[in-house]
Amino acid sequence: MTFQRNVAALTVAATLTVSVAAAADLVIAGRDGGYAEALGMAVEAYQAENSGLEIDRLELPYDGLLEKVTISMRENAAAYDVIMLDDTWATEFMSQGWLADLDVLGGGIDEDFVSATVAVSRYPVGTGTLYAVPFVGNVEMFAYRSDLMDRPETWTDVVAAAKKVSEENEDVSGVVFRGMKANPIVTGFLPILWAHGGQVVGDDGEAALDSPEALEALNLYLELKEYAPKGVEMYNSSEVRDALMQGTTAMSIELWPSWAPSLDDPEKSRVPGKIEVVAAPGETVGSSPMLGSWLLAVPADAPHPERARDFIDFVTSAEFQKKLALEIGQPPTRASVYADPEVVAKYRWYPNQLAALEVAKPRPRIKQWNRVETILGDYLQLALIGDLSPEVALEEADAQIAKALSR
Amino acid sequence: MVRKRHDKIRIGLTYLVTAVFLVPIVWMITTSVRPPIDYVSTSISLIPSQITLEHYRELIEADLMGKAMNSLIVAVGTTTLALIAAFPAAYALVRLRFPAGLDIVFLMFVLLVKLTPPISLAIPLYQVLRSMGLLDTLAGLIIVYQVYALPFAIWMLLGFVRDVPVEYEEAALVDGASLFRRLRSIVLPVMMPGLIATSVFLAILSWNEFAYALLFIQSPENFTLPTFIATLITEDETFWGKLSAVGLLASLPILLMVGFVQKGLTRGFGGGIK
Amino acid sequence: MHRKSGLLALALLSPAIVLFLALTIYPLARVLALSLFATDYGFEGATYVGTENYSELFGHRFFRTAAWNTLVFAVLATVSEVGIGLMLALMVNGRLPGSRFVIPALLAPYVLSTMVVTAIWRAWFHYDFGYLNNLLRAVELPPVEWLFNPDIAMLSLVMVDAWQTSPLTFLIILAGLQSIPEEIYEAASVDGAGPRHVFFGITLPLIIPYLFLAALLRSVDAFKIFDKVYALTGGGPGLATETLSMYVYRLGFKFFDVGAASAAAIIMVVISGLLALVYAYKLVGDK
Repeated sequence: MTFQRNVAALTVAATLTVSVAAAADLVIAGRDGGYAEALGMAVEAYQAENSGLEIDRLELPYDGLLEKVTISMRENAAAYDVIMLDDTWATEFMSQGWLADLDVLGGGIDEDFVSATVAVSRYPVGTGTLYAVPFVGNVEMFAYRSDLMDRPETWTDVVAAAKKVSEENEDVSGVVFRGMKANPIVTGFLPILWAHGGQVVGDDGEAALDSPEALEALNLYLELKEYAPKGVEMYNSSEVRDALMQGTTAMSIELWPSWAPSLDDPEKSRVPGKIEVVAAPGETVGSSPMLGSWLLAVPADAPHPERARDFIDFVTSAEFQKKLALEIGQPPTRASVYADPEVVAKYRWYPNQLAALEVAKPRPRIKQWNRVETILGDYLQLALIGDLSPEVALEEADAQIAKALSR
Repeated sequence: MVRKRHDKIRIGLTYLVTAVFLVPIVWMITTSVRPPIDYVSTSISLIPSQITLEHYRELIEADLMGKAMNSLIVAVGTTTLALIAAFPAAYALVRLRFPAGLDIVFLMFVLLVKLTPPISLAIPLYQVLRSMGLLDTLAGLIIVYQVYALPFAIWMLLGFVRDVPVEYEEAALVDGASLFRRLRSIVLPVMMPGLIATSVFLAILSWNEFAYALLFIQSPENFTLPTFIATLITEDETFWGKLSAVGLLASLPILLMVGFVQKGLTRGFGGGIK
Repeated sequence: MHRKSGLLALALLSPAIVLFLALTIYPLARVLALSLFATDYGFEGATYVGTENYSELFGHRFFRTAAWNTLVFAVLATVSEVGIGLMLALMVNGRLPGSRFVIPALLAPYVLSTMVVTAIWRAWFHYDFGYLNNLLRAVELPPVEWLFNPDIAMLSLVMVDAWQTSPLTFLIILAGLQSIPEEIYEAASVDGAGPRHVFFGITLPLIIPYLFLAALLRSVDAFKIFDKVYALTGGGPGLATETLSMYVYRLGFKFFDVGAASAAAIIMVVISGLLALVYAYKLVGDK
């Protein structure tokens, strides 16, 4: 009976292959897009120095990465050696004991790293154990077209300028932002909220969205939509970047330095030299640039912790950060790289960026931020597409956030 | 005469609709060899401006073969395990008498499992796999895929066992053949086409499965093709060529088996009708 | 042949029973128990909350929207798929040169992985460069916001589902058409019945069981929809395409609100249990 023999053979074959699935020497879980390019370069350079090393790399979008690494940590799956973390996730990861103590693992961290980024790499924040090394020195900037308008000082100025530009120009929208739910929409909204004196979570750790300041901020945000391109509700970074580089918008309420390293490159931009990158406008409170740094950490259950630590040191060295900045425009986390003449010559806004990074405001250091952000993102988008009034959206979001915080 | 003309229109229309149905697949095939510059065009031509194999090259570099191997292992393992468990069960349900209608109860339960949304079992299955130490392994995936595969296999094999004339077995029984021998030398050979159709179905099912693979596999080296494809659908929507290439490669094996599907489909789902 | 042999039956069923115990009975029991607790993982450190998870779900806008969307999707998908399947089956039934190629070609979308299908359609739905909008522009029509517009996103999802699964309904209905004996039609044509009369008077009544089966299969599957939503819209814009499976996934695997996720899962199981009853009734009725 050949069928039975075949089945038997296949079963044996399957069992054998399952058991010998090759294991890599280093597994890295990181972001997609430009970040993936950076990690790809790092892996290549690292392999050049350590020949014969097998390195596996996972590239995932924001939500996908968070889900994958969280599940792996909770389950002790020991799947990754190096993980890339948004600084807001780090609070939960550090407080749950999911990350390896880097002081114990060796290496420490030197004085060259910008202190705001080091603070979020420690738990308790600022003073505690070092659990991560800052990899991307992202800070939320604001971009506007200097040929179309003057620099707006306040968010009210932004609305006025958006209105004026979109009325005067047929092919140029007043403003763009990321309307995509979850992290993107929240990130765009936070500087506006903060500039109005509003907060998502108050200093007492309680939900604080149901406030007149927050409502004012949301109303202003919704007003911006009037002057934004169609479909902005589903815009993500690539759409915002395209609008800026194609010259089809006058402003972007957020610009992450890593999105647009080639603002002045005439081959990639239709408006080279015309986009100014500055810290976010203020309103009742001064400008509050948001810190959005990405960290590299070693999971406590990593199969190859020493190798992972060594890799992290390699990619966060001044030399490699300079290479990443020059070649793909990834914002450094070391002050010395921002001051490097070669780097400044290429990116004229780097002094502004370092200044913003030094005073950048981190998102609330609570371990439920992931859920709070999703709730806020969902309700902001419901308000943005007009399914809910701003009042109801904030009220319900606040109630849901309060519940999430109580867990 | 009128009828003949109607027939011609009907036939022509059938060809046309079939062609329209296939346009997305044709688009996938041609996009897989298109240079990236073509994506941002507004042309509706399905013919590439020039042909490139760069997407296929990139995929090979991204260890596509490894993921395909994983998918193959999982498909073969799932199919084998499901058949081993389902065949004796289907045989017993058709040929043996059960007390108190227990066979009907069992069948109804199988049906319920078949209809249960897989996501609703995902949370506890996590714990099941963890306690067996099989999280993030292909073997674990083969086991949880039985949630889909086993009810399907039992249901489909029921009909095929019924088709085996009971007289053949009775004759062998008179000759004193044991159950094992009857199964091996009579039932299995007669059922062979049915078993093959069932296997093909099970293999396609697990080859294409996404939700459990997404949840239970964390290490990139254990990713199956659908989860690998999902990682290519990212914020930067510019991987169309790569996506098409991997989509085509992942689909080729099952497109080749589409003939079997046609035979098996109505069979496996019909159950009661036929 | 039909010996009464409980032990033998048990032995033959045991592999399947073991798998079912581990993979469905135990998990279902555990989900049911977890749904009565507030927990972020298992029973350790969990607090008993009775039916609070359920009452909170029913009171929550997102859950109600997800349930409503799932229903809308299931109905729209089922109706359009049975409709398209019937149309295709009527076209293919009868003399068709090259049917050896036409039928497998029509089946092709059904065997593709859902991830491949969503990858294709995501590109097709792209507002600026997607193939669909390119087609519309070519005939001077305005482009459509396939996935961006909350009123259209659900229809786009139905369209993708219809493309992928109409082949299944088509095949089932075709089997029904082919089971009708030719003599019935001959008798009708002798009586001089017109084509409309033949269809509504003869064909339709005879294939009703097949239409019903196709509708049942599709509605059950549509009710579970997860991967298309996950990869095409992520549930958005707003909550326009949020479905129950997506909701359970987010609660359970993103927020680790395992108690509430379990309660939502139990609600899904109960609904599919009801569908299973309809299915079973139908099967028993036919026998």
